[in-house]
Amino acid sequence: MAENLIEARKITKVYPDGTQALFEVDFAVQAGEVHGLLGENGAGKSTLTKILSGLLSPTSGTILWKGKKVRFGSPREALKAGIGMVHQHFALVGPYTGLENIALGAEGVRILGPVRTRWIGKKVENIMDRSGLRVPLDVPVEDLPVGVQQRLEILKVLVREVELLILDEPTAVLTPQEVDELFSVLRSLASLGKSVVLITHKLREVLEVTDRVTVLRHGKLVTVRPTRETSLEELASSMVGREMPRMRGRTNRSGGKEVLRVENLVVPGVGGKPAVRGVSFSVHEGEILGVAGVQGNGQTELVEAMVGLRPWTGKVELNGKSLAGLGPAQVAALGLAHIPEDRQGMGLILPFSVAENAVLGKLRPFTDRVGGLRWRKIFRSTADLIQRFSVQTSGPRAQARSLSGGNQQRLVVGRELSKAPELLIANQPTRGLDIAATHYIRETLLKLRDEGLALLLISADLDEIFELSDRVAVMYNGTFTGISPVEKLDRERVGLLMGGLTFEEARG
Amino acid sequence: MNILIDVLPVALRAMVPITLAAVGEIFTERAGVVNIGLEGIMTLSAFIAGVGSWATRDPWLGVLAGLATGAVLGLVHGFISVCLRGNQVVSGVGINLLGMGAVGFGAWALWGAKSPMLDHSFWVPGISLWGVNFSPFVIMTPVVVAFTWLVLHKTALGLRVRAVGEAPVAADVVGIHVNRLRLWATVYGGALGGLAGAFLSLDWLHTISPTLPAGRGFIALANVVFSKLNPFLALVGGFLFGYFDALAIHLASVAGFGGALPYQFIRTIPYLVTLVVVALAIGRARFPAALGQPYRRE
Ligand SMILES: Nc1ncnc2c1ncn2[C@@H]1O[C@H](COP(=O)(O)OP(=O)(O)OP(=O)(O)O)[C@@H](O)[C@H]1O
Ligand SMILES: [Mg+2]
Repeated sequence: MAENLIEARKITKVYPDGTQALFEVDFAVQAGEVHGLLGENGAGKSTLTKILSGLLSPTSGTILWKGKKVRFGSPREALKAGIGMVHQHFALVGPYTGLENIALGAEGVRILGPVRTRWIGKKVENIMDRSGLRVPLDVPVEDLPVGVQQRLEILKVLVREVELLILDEPTAVLTPQEVDELFSVLRSLASLGKSVVLITHKLREVLEVTDRVTVLRHGKLVTVRPTRETSLEELASSMVGREMPRMRGRTNRSGGKEVLRVENLVVPGVGGKPAVRGVSFSVHEGEILGVAGVQGNGQTELVEAMVGLRPWTGKVELNGKSLAGLGPAQVAALGLAHIPEDRQGMGLILPFSVAENAVLGKLRPFTDRVGGLRWRKIFRSTADLIQRFSVQTSGPRAQARSLSGGNQQRLVVGRELSKAPELLIANQPTRGLDIAATHYIRETLLKLRDEGLALLLISADLDEIFELSDRVAVMYNGTFTGISPVEKLDRERVGLLMGGLTFEEARG
Repeated sequence: MNILIDVLPVALRAMVPITLAAVGEIFTERAGVVNIGLEGIMTLSAFIAGVGSWATRDPWLGVLAGLATGAVLGLVHGFISVCLRGNQVVSGVGINLLGMGAVGFGAWALWGAKSPMLDHSFWVPGISLWGVNFSPFVIMTPVVVAFTWLVLHKTALGLRVRAVGEAPVAADVVGIHVNRLRLWATVYGGALGGLAGAFLSLDWLHTISPTLPAGRGFIALANVVFSKLNPFLALVGGFLFGYFDALAIHLASVAGFGGALPYQFIRTIPYLVTLVVVALAIGRARFPAALGQPYRRE
């Protein structure tokens, strides 16, 4: 029996608003292992790991670090002991560059001395080379796509050389290649005797990289098993507490009339050089166009331009009407709904209640003649949304902030889908959702497609692209390397296209 | 045309309080705390500085007393808004009222007058450079500006301070004491407000009164907006506001001109300028994302 690096005993957590997130959970990580932590949205994974890393304190229970009882009053103390965590919702300083974010808190010995960026920069370059996680270090991070921010968060903790590395859903916005590279980093850390806790909803990843796995359900421990003694089906059913329904097969369809037409779209990016360099495509009624690609190749800018958040040149028409010069509200009024990739920054107003968030951007039917809000109607409609998308919350009055990551995502997706749009742009719509919710959202998207919705899907997840898309475009360096019906593609080809090869080259 | 140059010496003096208080407030706001109590801090510090100079017979000890008063008031504001997570506007207004009330009472108690004049021996002595007599504060102000800018933008401490105002969670998870840093930033801001107050009573106006700053604390807040939280721009803003302040003082006192326009009207010029400048600047200023929000973990 290997030694436990950290051991949590009978951890109970009750949030100030009375939500019981954890109930007498035991959790242990051995030295030198990669430990998977699984559970549905709201199961308590983030809560548990935040307690281990000192960000939250448990209501009751004890933590043993290297066999000694400890009480971390702050992340600082946990970090000093050797515990680092990558949070599900990034903890980055928006206006700071990548390098400044990494340097923060580790700048140098003398507090009134200069920030020792050169020294840290060298170290970061080194780790980027070894891990394959590359990020631009001199750009304000708020200008970077979510996938790149995720890489940065991982680098930030790797630089600190911790003994226990906790990763809360790091793979949700990474591409398959990046995930592979991350996993080889994790394995090499483990072989050096360090330990890793990995939270993910992708069971394939758990089977691939972990040594043991712990499953939580509704704040309680369900099981701890060596990974090789389990199977995908067993993990899935112990997470959900019942058998998983299988995903309904997708039926191919050819689209109807053209809903969105984009010609030669150019969008300037950071520092003036174009992030989208002349993209043309169209999306039809009853059709899903999937855009695959490594994050940071212009997807974010493409989406933000179309929904009216960035200036652009070229031609964009929705049902024949030009979107040139229109702002977000005007674009939305024409029937375009948008699930943003960043639910906390763009999708929700965290200090607002669930109900207020549920009617954001569609207040018209909830407003009376003098401009007052019809709260009864808002609450009724919110209750309906909570039920249909099974958002776990203490009620419509709860702050959006208090929802678990996956439940925040459900709220955003539910709101956008209930706007009955003509065109939906979904940027990573199932990011951070558990298997059941992912199934539900994907099924809903397919159902809406069958009813005639035109959908532009942006996803770093190839499974999602292949399960949903009728046609697939691959975005690389600001352009589409080609658009093709999904039947004519396979994962390998798309992988090559994502690396910048053209269709012709990838065919051979 | 000559008056535009004649008022320069006064303008340099008028620049001092508006710049010092603004630069302190910039530091505080960078850390995420708003302190609108600058007017009150300046009022009370001016008074305590006067008392200190009077009691110790040493004007520089008086300046120190003013500085300390500002620091303590900053600490009080920091304690209320950072530790108790109180409303920062309410706390700031409270400090303003406290300043006025305490000085009105204190001046009566000590000197039996609401606005006693300070004797020449209590004044801070000038410094003679190239045959010109300078107020030491006029020289000190750009130094404080440069120092604050350096700390904010070139040191590890500054990186942390700005992080705490921008994204407290991000700072917390890398091991930075968010609240401790905010508290110290508020103390620093208060101390510079105190210095500005000491300058008013011991170097410039040589009097004590419950309305001594005459709104300069609020103009300093406007200067913060104007500067977009950059200390060097606050120096420029301080000179600009100070210049109009001096011009108004001059115009109001010049015979003949004072007849053409009522005195009160001319004295409103700096405030009108402030209004216009702020209205033009406020759209472009980018404030720290977590400004005014207390930090708690759950
Ligand atoms: N700050 C908070 N205040 C109140 N309740 C909270 C807060 N944060 C989380 N909760 C609740 O605690 C429970 C567990 O949340 P947690 O974030 O740990 O889930 P999770 O397992 O990480 O889920 P996900 O996969 O969706 O990220 C949820 O019911 C959630 O609503
Ligand atoms: Mg979570």
